[in-house]
This record gives sequence, C-alpha cells and structure tokens, in this order.
Amino acid sequence: MPERRVSPVAVSQTSTLVTKTGSWKYIRPLYQDRVAPCNAGCPVGIDIEGYMSLLREGRWDEARDLLLLENPLPATTGRVCHHPCETSCNRRQFDEPVSIHAVERMLGDYALEHPPSLTRAAERSEEVGIVGSGPAGLACAYHLARLGYGVTVFDAAPEPGGMLRLGIPEYRLPRRLLDGEIERIRALGVSFQCGVRIGQDVPWRSFLGLFDAVFVSTGAHLGKDLGLQKENVAGVRAGLAFLKAVNRGERPELGRRVVVVGGGNTAIDCARTAMRLGAETVVLYRRTSAEMPAIPDEIEEAEREGVQLVFLAAPVAFHAEDGRLRAVECVRMRLGDADASGRRRPIPVPDDRFTIEVDTVLSAIGENADLAGLPPELAVQESGVAADALGTTSRAGVFAGGDVTNAARTVADALGAGKRAAVGIDRYLRRLSDDGPNGTGLPALRFGNGNISMARWRDADPVHRINALNELVEFDDLNTSHFRRVRRRRDDRLSLAESRGGFAEVNLGLDHEDAVSEALRCFNCGVCNHCDLCLIFCPDVAISRRANGGGYDIALEYCKGCGVCAEECPRGALTLTREGL
Amino acid sequence: MSQVMIADRVPTHELMTSGHLACPGCAAPLAMRLVLKALGPQTIVVMPASCWSIIAGPWPQSSLKVPLYHTAFETGAATASGVRAALDMQGDRDTTVMVWAGDGGTFDIGLQALSGAAERNEDILYCCYDNEAYMNTGVQRSSATPRGAWTSTTPASHPEASAKKDIVAVLAAHHIPYIATATVAYPVDLLEKVKKAKAIRGTRFLHILSPCPPGWKFPDEATIELARMAVACRVFPLLEIEDGVRWRFTMDDDTTEPLQPYLRCQGRFAHLTDEQIAQFQSDVTARWKWIERQVAASE
Amino acid sequence: MKKVIIGNHAVSWGARLARAEVISAYPITPQTQVVEELSEMCADGRLDARFLKVESEHSAMAACIGASATGARAFTATSSHGLALMHEMLHWAAGGRHPIVMANINRALGPGWNIWTDQTDSLSQRDTGWVQLYCETNQEVLDTTIMAFRLAETVDLPVMIVLDAFYLSHTAEPVDIPDQDAVDAFLPRRQARFKLDVSDPHAFGALVRPDSYMEMRLQLQEAMERTRDVFDRVEVEWQQRFGRRYGAVEAYRADDAELLLVTSGTITSTARFVVDRRRERNEAVGLVKVKMFRPFPVERLRALLGGARQVAVLDRNLSPGRGGIFSEETRAALYDLPEETRPAIHGYVVGLGGRDVTPTVLDEIIDRTRASAVPEREDVWVGVNP
Repeated sequence: MPERRVSPVAVSQTSTLVTKTGSWKYIRPLYQDRVAPCNAGCPVGIDIEGYMSLLREGRWDEARDLLLLENPLPATTGRVCHHPCETSCNRRQFDEPVSIHAVERMLGDYALEHPPSLTRAAERSEEVGIVGSGPAGLACAYHLARLGYGVTVFDAAPEPGGMLRLGIPEYRLPRRLLDGEIERIRALGVSFQCGVRIGQDVPWRSFLGLFDAVFVSTGAHLGKDLGLQKENVAGVRAGLAFLKAVNRGERPELGRRVVVVGGGNTAIDCARTAMRLGAETVVLYRRTSAEMPAIPDEIEEAEREGVQLVFLAAPVAFHAEDGRLRAVECVRMRLGDADASGRRRPIPVPDDRFTIEVDTVLSAIGENADLAGLPPELAVQESGVAADALGTTSRAGVFAGGDVTNAARTVADALGAGKRAAVGIDRYLRRLSDDGPNGTGLPALRFGNGNISMARWRDADPVHRINALNELVEFDDLNTSHFRRVRRRRDDRLSLAESRGGFAEVNLGLDHEDAVSEALRCFNCGVCNHCDLCLIFCPDVAISRRANGGGYDIALEYCKGCGVCAEECPRGALTLTREGL
Repeated sequence: MSQVMIADRVPTHELMTSGHLACPGCAAPLAMRLVLKALGPQTIVVMPASCWSIIAGPWPQSSLKVPLYHTAFETGAATASGVRAALDMQGDRDTTVMVWAGDGGTFDIGLQALSGAAERNEDILYCCYDNEAYMNTGVQRSSATPRGAWTSTTPASHPEASAKKDIVAVLAAHHIPYIATATVAYPVDLLEKVKKAKAIRGTRFLHILSPCPPGWKFPDEATIELARMAVACRVFPLLEIEDGVRWRFTMDDDTTEPLQPYLRCQGRFAHLTDEQIAQFQSDVTARWKWIERQVAASE
Repeated sequence: MKKVIIGNHAVSWGARLARAEVISAYPITPQTQVVEELSEMCADGRLDARFLKVESEHSAMAACIGASATGARAFTATSSHGLALMHEMLHWAAGGRHPIVMANINRALGPGWNIWTDQTDSLSQRDTGWVQLYCETNQEVLDTTIMAFRLAETVDLPVMIVLDAFYLSHTAEPVDIPDQDAVDAFLPRRQARFKLDVSDPHAFGALVRPDSYMEMRLQLQEAMERTRDVFDRVEVEWQQRFGRRYGAVEAYRADDAELLLVTSGTITSTARFVVDRRRERNEAVGLVKVKMFRPFPVERLRALLGGARQVAVLDRNLSPGRGGIFSEETRAALYDLPEETRPAIHGYVVGLGGRDVTPTVLDEIIDRTRASAVPEREDVWVGVNP
C-alpha cells in the first residue's frame, strides 16, 4: 500500500515544538540583574549581595576575595561600622534585616586566618604619598597598591591606624585584628613612616615634590568646646583626648561620677570606657534617643553595662570648688522644628534646670579637622578641605578624603572616600578622561546611586551579573512569597561582669553556623542566584538553564509572554517589557 | 533556610514540550509538567475531553513525551481501567496509568466512571486539574464552580447558587488508599504528593487547583499568586487523606489570610457584595472546621 | 468435543478459546449469562484474563477501548439499552481502529420494557463503523466469535456478533467445541499495529482538523470494504481447519427460485423448513441468509438475488418512518441492476419485540408475495392484531 500523508488513526508523529507560540505575546520577559539596596547603601561600596551569593554556594575564598576587592579592613568594619547596609536591607520590611555586619566580620576574620594572595595590576612607576593612616588613608593606599602604584603612608602617631587605633576602644576593636589587616596592606608593598608630622617635620612644599600624587587624610582630632565658663577647670576634659589616653594604655583618674556630653559614638565610647575605669557614668544628650547618632547597638550595650542616659538635657554651667569640678548644671530641652540635618532642633526650657554632682565631664560633641596643618593653597569649604567625589582638591595632584573633608564622619565613609580617591589618583596619573576607555565614567562605577565598585573599575567583576542594569531593587520589586520568616541571629555578647571588668571584646559576633545562616537569609535582591523558580513556574517550558551554569535562556519563540516568571522571580532579576521594544 | 530553594528538589527532565496550546498564564500545563516530573517517563496518560485536549496539541503533534490516549468526556477512569488491565496482562506492574481530567470530566460527567473505578480500587492515578468551570467551551458553570461566581451560564445578576462540590469528600467515601490536594504554587508539595501516590497501588486521586486567567478574569502573570492565595485564605486547603479516613493538613503553617483580596482580584467575583463575601467566608470557614474535625478524628 | 450449550455460553466459549485478555462488562438480560460464564472461567483459571466488572456499558466499552489501545485482546457483551448507552464509544472504538469484539444479544428497546428479541438495537448502530455478523445457530455463534477476533485484528475494526435473545441466547444446542491448540494456530496472539507504549510514546485521538479528517474516514471506509474479502479468507481458513463455513451471505435452495426470501438470525432456520416444504411441492422458492450486515454484501446480494422474479425481505426490526432496515438496504443494493434482472422487492416487518415468527407467518408472506406482482406497499406488517 502506498505511504499516505494521513495515518489511519490520529496518532502523533511529532511534538508541539513545530508550533511557535512566541508569536502570541505582546510583552516579553527580560532576564537582567539589578542592584541590591545593601550594595547601594554601603559607603564603602562593597558588593555585599555578591559575597552573600558566593557564601550561599559555599565558595568561601571567592567571597573573601570579592569582599577584599572593595574593603581593605573587613574584620574592622565588621565590628565598628554603623552598617547602613542593614538599614537599607529589603529584608527589614519582611522580618528583620540580614545581619550583614556579622557576616562581614566572619569573612574578615576568615581572611585573616586564611590570607589570600591578593591580585595586583601590572606595576606602575608612579609613587603616591599618603598623609594620615586612618581608614581613608589605609583604603587609598591599599587600592593604589593593588592598582600597581608605589605607596608610602605617613602618620604623626607612632603606629598606623589613625582614629581606628587612637579613638576606638579596644573592647570594640581588638588591636591584633587591626594590626593583622594593616599587615595585609603592608604585604602589598605599602611602606609606613610613622611618627612623622608632614607640614611640621617635613615642609609640605618639599613633601609634595617627592610624589607624583598625594592623598591627604589627616582626619579630625580637635575636640569642640562646649562654650561654657570654667571649661578649663580640672575635671572637664575633651572626650577624644580621654579615649586616646586610655588607648595608649593610660588609666586617667576620673573620680566617682562622670558625665559625658554628646550623643555620638565618641560619647558612648567615652561613657563605656569611663565605666570600665570604675566611674558611675551619665550621658547627657540634648535630643532624644531617636536622634542619637551613635550606633544603636552601642547605645544598647552602654545601657546594659549600666551607663545612664539622660535625654533632652544640656549643660549650662560648671560648678567648681577648690579649682576642681563639683557639679554640672543642666537645662531641660524640648524638640522644635527640624533643622538642616533633618533632625528636630533642641530648644532650652529656660526655667527647668537641674544639677548633677560630678567629678569629671567628658565633652564629646564632635571634632574639627586641623586645617592649619594642611598644605598651602588648598581650598577649604566650611570646616573641611574642599574635595569632589574622587577626592580631587583645588591643587592638581593633591587629593583628600575622610574626616578632613566635609564628608560624613564614619569609618565606612572614610574607607569609601579612600577608595574613590584611589580611582581619582589612578585616573589622574593615567590621564584618563571622565568617560575614558572601559566606561570609566563615575555613574557606571556606582552601585546604583551608592559608592563605586573597584571590581567595575578594574573590570574584574567575579560575580558575572547578567545584563546588569544599574537600577535599585525596591522591596516591592521582590516576590516575598518564596521566603519564610526567619529570625535574625543576635550577636553573642560577653557576660556583663566580664564586659565591665576590662577591655576584652564585648561583641563576640555570631558563631560560624549562625553567620552562614544569616548569609542564607539574604534575598539576593536583583541578582539571579539560580533558584530555578522562573524555570519551574514557566507554563510554556520556555526557560532553560544555560549549560555553563551562567543563568537561564528564555526561548522567545515559545514564550507566550504571560509574565509568570517575572512575577514569581523572588528577587526582581526578571522584568517585563513591551514586545518589540 | 529562609528561601525555598527548590531547584534541587524538582527533577530537571521535561516530559512536556513548548508550543502547546494553553492560554498564556494557564496553570494547567504547569500542573501536568510538574506531575510528569514526579512520575517520570514510564507513564501512560488517559485524557478525557478538557482544555488539555487542546493543550496537548492537534494531530499529528503531541506536547507530551509519554503515551497519551484522548478519550470521551465521561470515560477517563473507565478507559484507564482498561489500559491498566492490559498492562497487567502484559506483566507490566510498573507503568503508572494516569487520568488527566478537568473538573467537568471529574465532578460532573465523569463522576460515575470515577466512582466505579474508585470502588473497584483500580490501580490508577486520577488527577483532576480544577479550573472551576467548563473553560474549554467558554466558561460555563460546573459543579466545581464556587458559589457566587460569574460564568457564561451564571450571569452576574444570577451568579452560581450552589456551593462547590466537595469532591475529595466524595472520593474519601470510597475509601481509596490515597487522596491529596495540591496547587501549582507549591511545586515541592505537589511533587512529593505525586511521588507518594506513585508508590501506592490502587486508586489514587489528586485534586489540583488550576487558576484560569480568562475564566477567572485575572492578569496572566498572577496565576501562581492566585493559587497561593487560595491556599492561604483556606479556599483550597492542602490535604492528604489515606484510606478515606486518615485526614491531615499538609500546610506548614496554620495562619489564615483574609478572603477578600482573593475574591477581589478576580473579575468573576467582581459583582459580590460585602454580605455575599461574608457568606462565602462562612462557607469556607464551615468547610475548614469540618475538615479539622476529620483531621482530629484521625489523630 | 461436543457439548450441549446455550447460545450465550457459546459466546463465552468463543471468547475463551480466542484467549480474550481483557473483558469488561455490565449485566443486562438477556446477555448476562455470557459474562457470568466468562467470570467463572476467569475465576477458576480456565481463562487468563482481567475481568472488569464496570459500572455501566458505557464504561465497559471505554475500558475495552483502553485495553485494546494498549495492545490487549478485548471483549465485551451487551444487549439493547446497554448497546444504546455505548453508542458514543462505539464510534470511538471504530474511529480509533480498535479490534474489539462484542456480542450483542438482540433485544427490543423500551419503553415499555421488553426483553425479547428484536434487531433494532444492533441495527441502530449501523453507522458507528462496526462490522456486524448475525448468527443463526449456537455453533455459528461460537465459530463466529473466534473468527471475529481474527477478522477484527486483520482489518483493525471492531466486530459485533449478533444473536437473537432467547431463541439462541437461552436455547441449548449441541456445539462442537474446537481444541484450544487448533484455535491458537488459527488465531495467534494479537500484534497491535499501534499501541500505547512507554518505549515508543505517541498521542492517540488528538484534534484532527478539516484538512485531514476526511482522509482518516476514507481509510475507515476502505477498511470496511476490505473486510468483505478478508472475511471470506478467514472463513476459508476456518473451514480448512474445522470443516465449517457460513458465508457473508448464504444461498439456500436458491437455484432457479422465482421467489427468494431474505432472512437473518434465527428466522432463517424457520425459513429453511418452510422453503423445504415448498420445494417438495415444486414451488420455486429459495432463501438467502444475510450474515454480514456491515459491511453490507452488496455484490453478493446482487449476484444471488438478480434474476429472481420476487424477493421477500423479512425484517425483525424497524426504522420508524422508513420501515424494515434489511429491505431498505436490499432495495438500495439492487437498484443498479438492469431492469430485466431486477426483482420486485417485498418488505415484511415481523416478530418485533420477540413475537414468534412461525412457519404459518412465513407461509402467509410467501403466498401474499406470489399473489401480488408488485409489492402491496413498501413494508407489510405481518401478524399484527387488529
């Protein structure tokens, strides 16, 4: 019998793949990564989402290397940073933010225990001098060294570290960790010249002639006066000077009662340190706890240790006896309208006064940069050196960053400024324009509107994001149905008795297992982590894994454009666009 | 772990192909795809008339990589009984015979054959993907249509007057070894139930809620969300029933979401007044409580 | 081996000797003994088959379809309302080209309830695509049941064996029961042309669009046309092995007959007696028995009936508004004969709902036919009380 076109019964001979249902669609899915808010919110510009993603897969060394690509001091920042990443963490709106600082701390410690061999770009002939070895100077030195430059860091103090070493109490940052992290920088070829005050021991003019570029990061060390009479009576001291003395190993006599004036980290550090020296300690702050700029965890710890916090109060007079402070008279405050900082302005309630008997007052209402010690002809703005985002100052070849500029005075901001200045110096020395090769314009380097990525500057992104868009992922872009509520792990703390009794580190971080489970709580906002949900939920079998593990392919000739994949993507790594656009 | 990392728990092999003719966002092909992932290639599908008669592709195509027999509307369970009998005679006890039927073919026209097969405890897996009306013919009501719903035969001025038939209770009364409910929103739960069913001999019944964008009138992309909401607001409890007497919930938390958002995002319920929604809620609550009593009696 | 068995058990024996693998049935008088006997055979191991006691005839046929689609030899039996309930699935079986064999015990349809013989049930299914073979004796029932499987599996069409309620179904006759080995040699295991097979997966019965549906139906029609010759070959082989054959159409004392009776089923036996008596009186009366109704043996009937002066067709059935179905089919078959050889066709509706068709009734039919050169009307109802 001749072969017929039509079989005698309706028996299939082929699959439905002959029907290209992709022609039905009027919207199409776009598979592209976006920016997690933690990355955008990190002043250092750390690829937090990236290392969380690597940790999820157990790729520890890669996670460490990615972290070190952006941050030279993770063991330090994991302890002392005010972690705005956690403030911007989308998970905050779901249950509690990921304990990013604890994961960073664990990775930072891991990096000290398992030192990486840090990659360096090809060696360059230019030499850069850095004045000030605080976080800004260290970051700039580190990144420049990794970019191939010769770097020498100068500091007036006997050891490098700046405020990290001078100002931050040992119970928050054990010095062996800071030493270890500085050692890692030294190992990159950076040389340190300590005990040298540039501008005094070496004139600026001759100093500037020694280097192809200079980075000024001398910090802010001058305590602000309270502006009250008898401020120089015995018993009234600058808080920062007190901390420096303790950090040098001195144990100043404070008497029985100490009042700390201020609400920032210096104030809390002073209070907790004074308490460790045996004093009853009160912190006086003119606003309420809501406006207090100190790190909330630190405030909580201070209270736990017995520091008394008095809000809406400010000192108005010191009462001395025999040339020695006896009491501080205070006025009650109330909050008025918001001021320029966005915080509500404190207004004295004139007749509402009270007096606290006191032996020592530590004033911690802020520090000023020593502008007199700066290189000549450097333009100043407000109370700091005028510098742009990449640290460029009014003098060619001179860059500045950290507390000496008008930037926010945090360790993270200083590290970020140092990194940006390293890029600025690199660009200056290599005479690159704003939009030079490799898309080196600043916006392209930023995580969203956050800090810049050294990975992008070095064109060495090890995360290989897919068609990355520099667009922030908001909470509403996520599909949280795929997440379960899991409590954030609390850092372990030293017992109260041990905390009060000395300068041992109080915050013990998370144990290894809990730190890993925190990493697993990460939503990986905006970045595909190959969870397969798009593939699993595709009603049209149109999504498949790429053979090399690099994400997914969408078969647009079959995709009907239902949008389920984008709707169900837990992390906003899939979006929809009108067909034909 | 905070994320449901299901990649490792869903088999990667595909026994269904693209190019099938389901509407965009239809849950029915997804349900089939997941079920076949759990069953594997040693499966024969018997399919009475339903949307899937079209989704499977016109001759000479097939969207399935397993044998498929299209049969008449009311005959799913009976035809499958015959397939099973033939396999038994060939000494093949391993191939799974699966009926894949819609709610019309299960709750209505196919109920007699299903009841017969269940009573005989035929060794078949009967899957009902339930889109709560005759969708293939243009959204006419079935006995799976919820009270209050618009369909093309229950206009909004006189919406569906009867409560949805409690099909799992009907099947439970047959004392078959295994009954489960599932949705596409919880793929791992679905797969686990299918795997469990696969290992059991006798009649197994799987009731899969399958949201239908054009029939329920919601945007295509919301299919999974609708299935999830149906579970969360207890309209579609996830259950297992063994031997018709051992009932248990399979949801991992017992929080309940309000019914209102589930109903309000579907055009078929757009006409409902707050009082009618309250009535709906009391239907849902009453059934939930009844199931709770079955569960309690099982413990 | 000879046994005295009722017609229903002859069916059961046929299915057993044919080694049916899946049997699916639902009880209905007067069929019930067929499946009762088969269930005994399955229970005591004389027949290795899965017996599905389903909940309706519709499901019985659906289960046979499922089994047949999976490559098994499937069998069922029914009657009257049961057959009517199967109607949809009869189309499905034929359209799917499933070689299912079914026995139908002719019974009248209600209302009012009537359990006695009447061919209207099976003839109502003439357009479903089933081969229909009508039987006259219990031996023919058994032989036809076995041959039906061979025929069905050769042409990929379902086959219906039809026998009269009570006159055959419940009447015991001596039947020669062939040896199993001999039947096995005649009817080997089924080799399905298409089947549900996980190692070669295909979909069966999907949507077929207008561009292909006719081509499939044409092949169904061609298979039906082929069935006439295939049946002859099957019967020839049966005769070689077992010494019996029946013919799609049988002529009895038809040579030179001026009047030929056309019969089917058990009326044929009565008609043989009457024809013999008329021949003894030298009356040129003969008989043509139609065994095969679908496909209708058009050429055979033209050859046998062409040249007779008169033909009287006996119909124990009724298509209301038209009349006897065999007479209509016969008229249509002979219409193309040249006028000089074309007989006058007299249709008689007899024996509906089990009414006895006695020699007296047949004599009346012969006499009335010979008395009128042209038919009195298209269909004459005989034996109807006023």
